Amino acid sequence: MEAGLMVKQAAVAKPDAFPARSLGFGSSVRGGSGISRIGFEAPASVAWRKRSIRVARDGAIRSEVVVEEKASPPRKDKAGPGRLYVGLPLDVVSDGNVVNHGKAIAAGLRALALLGVDGVELPISWGVAMDSGDWSSYLAVAAMARDAGLHLRVSLHLHCHRRPRLPLPKSVDSAAAADPDILFTDRAGRRRADCLSFAVDDLPVLDGRTPMEAYEEFFRSFRLAFADFFGSVITDVTIGLGPNGELRYPSFPPTGSNRFTGVGEFQCYNKYMLADLKRHAEETGSPLWGLSGPHDAPGYNQSPDFGNFFKDHDGSWETPYGQFFLSWYSGKLLSHGDRLLSVASEVFGDLPVALSAKVPLLHCWHDTRSRPSQLTAGFYNTDGRDGYGAVAKIFAKHSCTMIIPGMDLTDGEQPQGVRSCPQSLLSQIKGACKRHGVKLAGENSSLVRVSTAGFTKIKENVLAENSTLDSFTYHRMGAEFFSPDHWPLFTEFIRSMAQPEMEKDDIPSNLERLSLSINSVPGNDRELQSA
Amino acid sequence: MLLVRWKPVLHCPPQGHRRRGFAWPRGPRRSLLLRRPIRSPAPAFLSISSSKFSQAGRARVRPVVRAGLAQTPSLADVENTEILFSETLSLKRSQTVEGKITVRLDPAVAEEEVSKWRLTIGCNLEGKWTLHWGVSYCDDLGRQAFEWDQPPPEMRPPESVLIKDYAIETPLKRLSSQSERQALHELQIEFDSNTPIAAIHFVLKEEETGAWFQHKGRDFRISFTDYFEVANSVGGNQGFSIWPGGFDQISSLLLKAEESTSQKEDPDDEDGNVVKQNRCIAPIYKEFPILKEEFVPNHMTVSVRSSDKTDKNIVQFDTDLPGDVVIHWGVCKDDGRKWVIPSTPHPPATKIFRHKALQTLLQPKPDGLGSWGLFLVDQGTSGVVFVLKLNEYTWLNNNGTDFFIPIGSVSSTTAEIGSDDIVHEQQAGTEIHDVRNSLPPNNSYPLQNKSLEASDPKNINSLPMKPQGTEELIEAVAYTDEIIKEIRHLVTDISLEKGKRAKSKEAQENILQEIEKLAAEAYSIFRISIPGFVESASDTELLKPAVKLSSGTGSGYEILCQGFNWESHKSGRWYSELRDKAKELSSLGFTVIWLPPPTESVSPEGYMPKDLYNLNSRYGSLEELKDLVNSFHEAGIKGRGNKSSGDNFHAAPNIDHSQDFVRRDLKEWLCWLRKEVGYDGWRLDFVRGFWGGYVKDYMEATEPYFAVGEYWDSLSYTYGDMDHNQDAHRQRIVDWINATNGTAGAFDVTTKGILHSALEKCEYWRLSDQNGKPPGVVGWWASRAVTFIENHDTGSTQGHWRFPSGKEMQGYAYILTHPGTPAVFYDHIFSHYQQEISRLISVRNENKIHCRSTVKITKAERDVYAAEIDGKLAVKIGPGHYEPPDGPTKWVVAAEGRDYKVWETS
Repeated sequence: MEAGLMVKQAAVAKPDAFPARSLGFGSSVRGGSGISRIGFEAPASVAWRKRSIRVARDGAIRSEVVVEEKASPPRKDKAGPGRLYVGLPLDVVSDGNVVNHGKAIAAGLRALALLGVDGVELPISWGVAMDSGDWSSYLAVAAMARDAGLHLRVSLHLHCHRRPRLPLPKSVDSAAAADPDILFTDRAGRRRADCLSFAVDDLPVLDGRTPMEAYEEFFRSFRLAFADFFGSVITDVTIGLGPNGELRYPSFPPTGSNRFTGVGEFQCYNKYMLADLKRHAEETGSPLWGLSGPHDAPGYNQSPDFGNFFKDHDGSWETPYGQFFLSWYSGKLLSHGDRLLSVASEVFGDLPVALSAKVPLLHCWHDTRSRPSQLTAGFYNTDGRDGYGAVAKIFAKHSCTMIIPGMDLTDGEQPQGVRSCPQSLLSQIKGACKRHGVKLAGENSSLVRVSTAGFTKIKENVLAENSTLDSFTYHRMGAEFFSPDHWPLFTEFIRSMAQPEMEKDDIPSNLERLSLSINSVPGNDRELQSA
Repeated sequence: MLLVRWKPVLHCPPQGHRRRGFAWPRGPRRSLLLRRPIRSPAPAFLSISSSKFSQAGRARVRPVVRAGLAQTPSLADVENTEILFSETLSLKRSQTVEGKITVRLDPAVAEEEVSKWRLTIGCNLEGKWTLHWGVSYCDDLGRQAFEWDQPPPEMRPPESVLIKDYAIETPLKRLSSQSERQALHELQIEFDSNTPIAAIHFVLKEEETGAWFQHKGRDFRISFTDYFEVANSVGGNQGFSIWPGGFDQISSLLLKAEESTSQKEDPDDEDGNVVKQNRCIAPIYKEFPILKEEFVPNHMTVSVRSSDKTDKNIVQFDTDLPGDVVIHWGVCKDDGRKWVIPSTPHPPATKIFRHKALQTLLQPKPDGLGSWGLFLVDQGTSGVVFVLKLNEYTWLNNNGTDFFIPIGSVSSTTAEIGSDDIVHEQQAGTEIHDVRNSLPPNNSYPLQNKSLEASDPKNINSLPMKPQGTEELIEAVAYTDEIIKEIRHLVTDISLEKGKRAKSKEAQENILQEIEKLAAEAYSIFRISIPGFVESASDTELLKPAVKLSSGTGSGYEILCQGFNWESHKSGRWYSELRDKAKELSSLGFTVIWLPPPTESVSPEGYMPKDLYNLNSRYGSLEELKDLVNSFHEAGIKGRGNKSSGDNFHAAPNIDHSQDFVRRDLKEWLCWLRKEVGYDGWRLDFVRGFWGGYVKDYMEATEPYFAVGEYWDSLSYTYGDMDHNQDAHRQRIVDWINATNGTAGAFDVTTKGILHSALEKCEYWRLSDQNGKPPGVVGWWASRAVTFIENHDTGSTQGHWRFPSGKEMQGYAYILTHPGTPAVFYDHIFSHYQQEISRLISVRNENKIHCRSTVKITKAERDVYAAEIDGKLAVKIGPGHYEPPDGPTKWVVAAEGRDYKVWETS
């Protein structure tokens, strides 16, 4: 019976479902106990889950686990579909700390579980959670996911969101009211309320505390509240590294749609950024370069040819000044990401969860030499200079999975005139990750964009022969998600992902799959196995 | 279980061999013969197919001699034929047999030993019958407990088997002597009336078909302690009664037991204190008609030959199915399974079915036992796909998919003499058994019986072969690969689609349904911008319709006529028959007519979606339909399509396919129907794709004048007695309406159910709920309730849940005076009730009673129910006496009939 059970588990466990936490930097520190690495196996079934927890808490019987590992037959090393997640609504818990559409989400979770989706992504807003200090609503959602038999990827968002309104903590708001310069600021002096400027990361601007300390407090508070969920329900923690939960500057216009296709603007005009720039310029011996940002960069929605900075030929970006500025600007972003991930590793490193963070897919104007929209967002990725290697290096250092959105985008259907090519950018980022051994996860750009072609593209990306995608998260649950126009496409997509090409002799495992998704009660699984 | 015998037949032996068959490639002779097919001088072979069940110990060989070419003269001109492929399909045809279950209770011995009783349960149908039964014991107060329990040991007949700890199974014995009235199988249970048993419960099980027989969905129940009757009895001594009890969750495959009672009561029998214990036993004899579905095995042999004369292959169908057999067929090109119409010439007696398939009537065989046919098929085709049609409603398919006969791949490489008879048989597993019969002497390479692993070509290649040149070997390998491909094709088809999948198919279907329901629920809630709205929806006040009159519910003064019954399709010209009645229906006061489903309800798989755009159906042609709708419009009646989606889509084999279709194209289809036919609205079955949350979308897209959905589930009963409170039942219907955002109404199944009980058992008090309101949906959300007492499913010749006979007018007196939108069943309109119904409708119209009228219940007692509606009408139903109080309003009788009376204000 026991052996049979194990075979079953092995069959169900997804290949590489869980990143080993021994990669790269920090493993020696965390690995001191030798325990954290044991719990890495994917919680494929309840029984398994329990076992790994038990073992994780008792180092003495570690060897037993190893034996079990060996007992399981070799996994099929075909390109598996990875784990599939669906994003919960951004405002699943919103201002006022209540669960929105609880009943709909409960029904939706159950539908997803029955469909065979592995888990859901739970966005947690810094403002919503920390203002009340009450985690009960988020915990309730997590419990709903658990009860539905789903895993959780928790996204910790440190930025604010306009619609649905997810604010920054009130203390941050009041600090910003007192000193607006802690917010990002554009050339026209507009304050960007999206998130705190990277320049103040380590300055005691929040009632004597630094933002990094506040972030850490938020992380720890989350960890404490969700202690019971780690390893069993929560499989991933995603750190929002900036606006939109992505590693980037808020280079998009302060108002307007997300479908921004312009070049964007540099966000270096608050007091602290300018001071840092000045210091940096002085250190490099060109104090005059530190007085302001580029004067000849175009506005948010202007084309790269407007002004001189981004011009394909003889643009300022290629001048020594341009290189100086862009290095500094992108360096600030990288160092912010590095420090924040350090904090996150510190807080979550010993937990059996995977750490991840999102990097935007700034595909507009990628087909130019200067790639302005990437430059303004902080990625110094121009013709002849790879900006993503450095990013991947940081992710590798923290064993952090890189989440890339836009897996549904095809070059073909991009708007004319913005010289967009998502696919080549995607492969560039993928290449960087591969070189640095960074795991990849995917997301779609947005539900609205997803058409049948979008789903096909996702499938292509996820199921590709050389795909290293660890998971894919589909955004997001909501009315449109369940609408008759969308839901059938989605179910079809999920089912085709679950059984990419049903091999004729794969039937038994498919049956197991089916039964597993009906009920994941270990007793029943066992019964099925022996039957 | 599906049994397909796969039989690649290569060629007939030159002379006199009665066996022909297939030989594995094994020598130079093969190529020789390949080039020189032997001509058979006369059509003189019989195909013999044998089947062997490989399962342990159950082997049985059943040689079936097929009528062969000898009997098919037209084959004589096909001089040169090679049998390339032959397959015998085993078909399961169901046949319904009527019979009855008898229940008799009488004293076991002479009068002196009064306490010995005998219960005899009989059944007059063939089968292996088992009684699954239990008892319940009295509790301390003499009341009966309602759980099943095992009978005391002295009650258990020999041969009984205990089932868990609550039931027992005893086989019925076959009686040797049988007269007309007597049961064929019988079981007697003897017991002592002093045993404290309160009731005996049972269901019948037929072991061979695995069908359970219950009574109206519940277990049979013979009660000796009649607790409830004390409260309700109409005075008579109803010491004994039999009624369905609450046995739950035996999946009843079939149960159509209608009570046709001939209850004998013995009023003199006294046993115990009637008031307190009321425990009495009296003789009883009852009969319950049952319908049993039997499966009759039949066969169909399909063989493929090639012909030198034409460049076509000949496909021969041969079956022992009695009666007319129509092959509904098409061919496949390439590897796909897409149906394509075969090229001409078509066989005689062939019709083209909607440009997608051919329907060929097979010719009866001379011996009268079955029929046969020869079809010509181009050699380029990869296979023939078909299903069988026995009559309009009976189609035979391959466990949910089409039958497929491969042609192309076999034809290119086959030709071989061999008399090995190889039968490949597949039983939802992975092994193929290769059975070779003894061989005539000139077959030099007999092979032992060998079991082949289908998935491993090596096994086949490693079959003994005579040493031979490399070339041939390669050829042979290539050839066997071909065969293996075929086998795999079949095996995977069978094991995949039929075997394993079939088992999980139902589960999968259920899961998909559940998923959809959940998704629709989530959708409908997400759409409501105010969070938490639905949570508070249990408050009935919230459920009241919004102020604005939503579309899809008509004017509020609608009266529906259900314009068809279960028989309507029989004439083939229902539309025109109905058209002739348009004026009459209009003059009777109807405003909306509900028409039958516009498309064929059973369509062979493969091309569902386009079929929906074909509105020629067994009710008439599209032109007649349009004409009908026009006539109704002219007569001032709205035509409402019975968009019975369920029927249409259930036949679709591929879940994704239908699901996909439902979503993407349905709106378009509905709009098309509205435009093309002129329908004004819909009646929606509650099926997949029509969960309330989605209905709203369809309603918004099609803007129907009137729409009504049918959410059908069972009312709550306790111990066989219907609960007074049916709030849960109506809540589910209200939930559905709510999920549509009130864009559609729903049939008030609750009201119908309650009327059943109230009228049947003289329990008119049921017609008032705890709050003094009507107890059905009409009491909660009248404007969305479509009240009815019968429809084509419940009444008519179907009789699934027929309204208490003879009390229909009381039902109509209720629904036609009360709020809600009443629907009158076609059969009732054109019956002797017509005048009374017509009178009630005109009273309703004259007094301007509408779907939101208010009801004041003035009396709800055992034998009479009375109410005032809008202060303008008073109605009473039931045998009891009621007169509206004379006060400021003067009431005059407006309509009157047996056990009902309607007054209006003077």
